[in-house]
Amino acid sequence: MSKNKLFGLFVCLILTGQAHADQAQLQRGAHVAVEVCNGCHTLKYIKYSDFFKLGFTKKDVDAMRGDKPLDSPLLSQMDPQSELSMFGIVPPDLSLMAKAREGGAHYIYEMITGFYTDSKGQTANRVFPGIKMPDILMVSQADAAGKQAIDAKAKDVSAFLEWASDPQAEERITLGKYVIGYFVVLTVLLYFLKKKIWKRLG
Amino acid sequence: MMSKIIAWVDQRFPLTSFVKHELTEYPTPRNLSYWWGFGFLAGFVLVIQIVTGIFLAMHYKPDSKLAFDSIQHIMREVNYGWLIRYLHSTGASAFFAVIYTHMARTLYYGSYRRPRELLWWTGQGLLLLMMATAFMGYLLPWGQMSYWGAQVITSLFKATPVYGEQIVTWLRGGFTVDDPTLTRFFSLHYLFPFLIFGAVIVHLVALHTVRSSNPSGINLADKDNIPFHPYFTVKDLFGLGIFMIIYMLIVFFKPDFFIEAANNIPANPMQTPAHIVPEWYFLPFYAILRSVPDLAGGVVAMAISVLIFAAMPYLDRSRITGGARYRPVYRAMFYIFVINIFVLGYVGAHPPTGTLKTVGEISTMIYFMTFLLLPFISRWEEKFVLAKGLPPAVEEMARKEIAEAEGNV
Ligand code: HEC
Repeated sequence: MSKNKLFGLFVCLILTGQAHADQAQLQRGAHVAVEVCNGCHTLKYIKYSDFFKLGFTKKDVDAMRGDKPLDSPLLSQMDPQSELSMFGIVPPDLSLMAKAREGGAHYIYEMITGFYTDSKGQTANRVFPGIKMPDILMVSQADAAGKQAIDAKAKDVSAFLEWASDPQAEERITLGKYVIGYFVVLTVLLYFLKKKIWKRLG
Repeated sequence: MMSKIIAWVDQRFPLTSFVKHELTEYPTPRNLSYWWGFGFLAGFVLVIQIVTGIFLAMHYKPDSKLAFDSIQHIMREVNYGWLIRYLHSTGASAFFAVIYTHMARTLYYGSYRRPRELLWWTGQGLLLLMMATAFMGYLLPWGQMSYWGAQVITSLFKATPVYGEQIVTWLRGGFTVDDPTLTRFFSLHYLFPFLIFGAVIVHLVALHTVRSSNPSGINLADKDNIPFHPYFTVKDLFGLGIFMIIYMLIVFFKPDFFIEAANNIPANPMQTPAHIVPEWYFLPFYAILRSVPDLAGGVVAMAISVLIFAAMPYLDRSRITGGARYRPVYRAMFYIFVINIFVLGYVGAHPPTGTLKTVGEISTMIYFMTFLLLPFISRWEEKFVLAKGLPPAVEEMARKEIAEAEGNV
């Protein structure tokens, strides 16, 4: 009985937890990450060559990397020292960010779209009060139509950052289905083998 | 050919007779339920941890400047590195889940009782070794939780009289957790599993001397013992199948379930995380630590809360065998104890404020009361149960043990 319940729980986890971003979205997100976020943030566990895994062509990647080598990690375009003097903090690396915050990609999305203009006319953030990151997507100044475009951008980059934090996820899930299938079949067979062997005892 | 080789070995080493005696023909009570399969599972997980650990160590760098990145190197660049790492990180939790179940079975069925005290105590030693191993292993990823967890737990040794400060410095290899701490924890984290392996052998020798307990509580007549193979090999393998399905579901589909988000941030000695929480398997003990207002008192309470299991053969003074099965009061105490552990775990996972603090204090009290009242309750319950009547075989065993004890006085 309790074993059944446990199984139910896990099946639910699998079915709900694995909604996957499509490649086009990841590609759009990669562009935002390289063109916007990478201006201040490093993504040091991602190399330009990793973009091939998202279906980018050699030409796309060459355009993204400029004169940097293919196997170079995505280091920030600013040096940490000037970032420190400009923002009072070195912006954290983004390549593991989706795993480093409760809420993951959703948190990132909420944070970067969480900017607004407060009663004193200052830009503030409702997810991270006092954040030292500027309103880089300019949410706080956008009109309704602009907000929609920004929202889409934010979703794309969050999806991309989730991929970046766990590029193996797709392979893992595909392999996982076979592994689980294997163990289910094996366990069922063992169950009948056990029944058969224990029958001998009468 | 094979039989020739075996014959050659048998003349020089008791291979066949050992396998027969201790494995294939080893007489095992036929009424053992699946709850008796967790010892085997624990041994299996130990092997998984050792094998995956050896492979991780080939790619991991025990250096405070490189450790965090080397984990990402394993996750992203090493072939199936992610699999090895997730097997290992999930394996740690699986190990504790299996061992706690194994202990709960022992407590429920009274398997710690005479003549199995030594078996139980070797198990207690194994638990301590496991806890130390897990604690040191948790530092290795060098994330924020790794770092601050180690900082908090090592600082508990400050409670040692007179030499507190020195001991803490000695453990850490410096005034704070730093590179020397990481290298020594790595070294010991690699060593301890082999000590565990050795202790498991001692545990098994003790087991095979006193033989398995069984749910009926009585010593079964020879006809009720069956050879371990094939009956329990296949039963244990089926249990292993179920275990593997659950384990693999986590490894492949929810591998970050047991990894704190904060541990994906590199260790930063200048920035304390908002909540420092230990791994789930330490939470009840951590809650006990925090429920005692004074540091030394908390540390002593926590140490006793882990070690007190060893006293069970003496705290439980009932001579009725079969554990909770024939003992309604003991059974109730068992369930209260288990529920209380979960309450403590919940308290340990949250900041100790307001009601939760009070709940923690009450739960801590209940935890110790269960043990401390047991000597009195068990004797009273024994009289009560004997008067009420028991299955003849159980009653006979109990009366015999009582008579023996009284004869000795
Ligand atoms: C102008 C520089 C700059 C750009 C461009 C930038 N950020 Fe940031 N970001 C920062 C700084 C500075 C911080 C540190 C904020 C703090 O800790 O107060 C930060 C912090 C963050 C954090 C961590 C928040 C936390 O919980 O600690 C996330 C997530 C983040 N940025 C995402 C992004 C994304 C996504 C983009 C691209 C759309 C981006 N940033 C572009 C400067 C920048």
